[in-house]
Amino acid sequence: MPTKAMFLMIRQLLQRPFTNPFPVKYAPKNVTKTIEKVKLGQMSINNPIPVPDGFRGKLKYDPERCIGCRLCITVCPANAMEWIPEVRKIRHYVTRCMFCGLCVDVCPGKKLPGETAPVKALSMSKEFLLADYDKYSDNLIVEPTSKEQSLNNQEPSSDQK
Amino acid sequence: MANDKVSKISKRYEIPIGPIHPALKEPIRVEAEVKGEKVVKVDVKRGFAHRGIEYMGMKRNAIQTLYLSERICGICSISHPYAFVLASEKALGIEPPPRAQYIRTIIAELERIHSHILWLGVVAHEIGFDPILFWTWKLREKVLDVLEAITGNRINYAMYMIGGVRRDIKESHILALRDMIDYYRKAADQMKDIFLSDPIYKARTKDVAKLSQDLALKLNIVGPTARAAGLRVDIRQDIPYDAYADIDVRAVVPQDIMGEVNGDAYDATLVRIYEIEQSLDIIEYCINNMPEGKLLAIPNYVALLTTIRKTQGEGIGAHEAPRGEVIHYVKYDGTRDGPVVWKVIAPSYNNINCWGPLLLGAEVADIPVVIAFIDPCLCCNDRIAFVKDENGRVLDYFEIHNMSVNKTMKIKRMLGV
Amino acid sequence: MTLATIFYAIGFPLLGIILGLLYKGIDRKISARMTSRIGPPIRQPFWDVGKLLIKETVVPENAVAWIFNVMPIVALASSMTLLLYIPFGIIKAPLEGYGDLVVILYLLTLQALAMAIGGFSAGSPFASVGAQREMILMMSYEMPLAIVITGFALIYKSFSLSTIALTPVWTLVGPVGWIGLLLLLAALLIVTPAELAKLPFDIAEAETEIAEGLLSEYSGRNLALFYLSDAVRSFAMVALEVALFFPFTFSQGFGLQFSEPVSYIIEGLWFLAKVLILYILAVTLVRTSFARFRIEQASRLFWTYVNIMALLGLILVALEVM
Ligand code: SF4
Ligand code: SF4
Repeated sequence: MPTKAMFLMIRQLLQRPFTNPFPVKYAPKNVTKTIEKVKLGQMSINNPIPVPDGFRGKLKYDPERCIGCRLCITVCPANAMEWIPEVRKIRHYVTRCMFCGLCVDVCPGKKLPGETAPVKALSMSKEFLLADYDKYSDNLIVEPTSKEQSLNNQEPSSDQK
Repeated sequence: MANDKVSKISKRYEIPIGPIHPALKEPIRVEAEVKGEKVVKVDVKRGFAHRGIEYMGMKRNAIQTLYLSERICGICSISHPYAFVLASEKALGIEPPPRAQYIRTIIAELERIHSHILWLGVVAHEIGFDPILFWTWKLREKVLDVLEAITGNRINYAMYMIGGVRRDIKESHILALRDMIDYYRKAADQMKDIFLSDPIYKARTKDVAKLSQDLALKLNIVGPTARAAGLRVDIRQDIPYDAYADIDVRAVVPQDIMGEVNGDAYDATLVRIYEIEQSLDIIEYCINNMPEGKLLAIPNYVALLTTIRKTQGEGIGAHEAPRGEVIHYVKYDGTRDGPVVWKVIAPSYNNINCWGPLLLGAEVADIPVVIAFIDPCLCCNDRIAFVKDENGRVLDYFEIHNMSVNKTMKIKRMLGV
Repeated sequence: MTLATIFYAIGFPLLGIILGLLYKGIDRKISARMTSRIGPPIRQPFWDVGKLLIKETVVPENAVAWIFNVMPIVALASSMTLLLYIPFGIIKAPLEGYGDLVVILYLLTLQALAMAIGGFSAGSPFASVGAQREMILMMSYEMPLAIVITGFALIYKSFSLSTIALTPVWTLVGPVGWIGLLLLLAALLIVTPAELAKLPFDIAEAETEIAEGLLSEYSGRNLALFYLSDAVRSFAMVALEVALFFPFTFSQGFGLQFSEPVSYIIEGLWFLAKVLILYILAVTLVRTSFARFRIEQASRLFWTYVNIMALLGLILVALEVM
């Protein structure tokens, strides 16, 4: 008893699969080894579908342009921003961020000499492959200076309630 | 052995569905007692997804709370903010610019399209029609792509703001929207073909989850579920807001389409597919008649927070979410920049009430259909949680807090920390 | 014990498993492509079995342990034995002469029965409901199946499958019989998914309703055995249909002649190709384009429509040969 669904299925059989084979078509035998190989450049993975303009990915922070106004901390719904009083800058925890982009909206930024308009200290990149084993890995904490300097005596884990 | 089997066949079984079960996408528990294949006794237990979001919201400022409300539900991630901004604007006396109103309506309708298509897939899955699940979700990609292009993300659009919207709809987006409308006009016809004429789909959904108008009224059923029962209820028609006020939205009911109402899962399918078409019409109207102008009434967030801190007021915002009406109540008292009272009513809260009466006397095979046909969203649902001790006494906040502290201490001792 | 016996005893089950899993892999791949997915690689079923075999086998507390553990073995053994009765093209069935279509009918039942008993013994409500459903379904589809086999017995005046496979059934009857045979074929095709517990008749294992039903308590080795028995039975069932209805040999069909060893290989491959085509049409396509029936709908379908169809076919065939 042929139904409409059956014809649909036959039609789809003749089309190319819709699935996006990212990062690889089939699950590799050993995932960690595959990742290692990709890192070393011995293997290539399929590219993800390009994201549109205005995509909200990992936050980029330019401490040069930060005036320390703390507005981003005020609006951040997820409390992903932390104030570093010593340098009067902020530290951003990517794992807590929910990518709403409010901080980018409010950030006033700074006008460097020779510029006509201020440029925001915060902006959203298109980076979205953020998985990591450690939620405090270097990749997931955006900091004003190199990690050692601003860490001081503060352990990030103890700051987080 | 044979005797044993016969006695077992006529025995009553307790079938536990949930909190974790393949038919459920979120935790809830349905305890069904079955005799053979008939359900003879049923009990629905909720409260597995209480997160205390309202409490958190009352501790934050209004902008933070708005984005918290977006996290109440992942599928209706615009419905809750919509109701929240409507309520807040009423409370604060802010009028959003017309262009922002139109953009809000477009986004809300886009969300309805993706949510309804998602539902169609889920129902197909519940009756074992997985290929159609894959097909509908393939169709759904288009609207998600458009949403991503406009708002920046596929889900959790972060689009609304008290007094307007944050991003504009540009020319390129309008082109994409028009393309999408054509795509779904065709797809909706196809969906009607596949779903409404499929013999097994008909056999599995006709007269299943049959909700009478009386019962729907009595249980205060809302949204497409109520419309499938023939009730003409739709917030967009009854209390129009934003661009809906310019459009004559009429509730989609089966009697207008087929001439008769059954109120079963088949009618719910019908209503949802026709609502997709209705949403397309609304979006088309909006992009054709989009006014020019500002996007935000108060563009500066700091100024907005200051205004909130100085204003006293309360408001109720109601939005017709894909699943039914979602209502937010907020109250600002002029002392802090966030709501002092925030109350959320989600549509599934009403709709789950119909599970009990509908499951009674149904077959085991119908349980997933009955569960899915209201498109339950359980994370929106649990607004309050009671904890009882072994004697059935309700524990209060301090007791629970103490118990938690004690337990932590006990674990610490056990681990020797 | 001759060398041939040893080959049949060890080689055939192995071949059966490999073919069954291979066809299952192809089935999954094609089903995936029909739904616009890439799907698993064709070797996936082998991996699945391997993985299940290294997993822990859990026996539920209130299960009747020995029945619970024995039933998967019974199921696999019965599907294996079933395979031994089916002639591979012109290669004779290993158990040729030790039984006939009636035995096949019982072996088919035995596997379903083993699953049902296993389900009852698991002591879980899901499995019990699944087992009840399996019993009801079994009672419903046995009748049309038996009618089809009676039809063949009428034509050939014999229950032996090898006799049947030797001369295509279509050449033995006239136009009225043709219609009758077509009806029988249709009935058998509808019974196939029910017999194999595939959609739209996977009612006993409905995932969303009763959480895999019969199999919900099975794990590890036991589940692997059921998985294997399902794979082998699917292959055997379709092979049986090919042997019954499409026994045309390659050399007959294309009018070619081959020397002895070559013809065996070619006929074997030809047979496998026929099975593959029928498998895709009767199992893959059907399970991909239908939703699941309710049990009472399924049993009504079998008791009324399919039964009437099969009986009508039987009467037409009988008119022709009597
Ligand atoms: S994007 Fe949103 S959540 Fe993330 S840091 Fe900025 S304001 Fe906070
Ligand atoms: S990042 Fe921007 S908003 Fe945040 S403190 Fe610096 S200048 Fe202010």
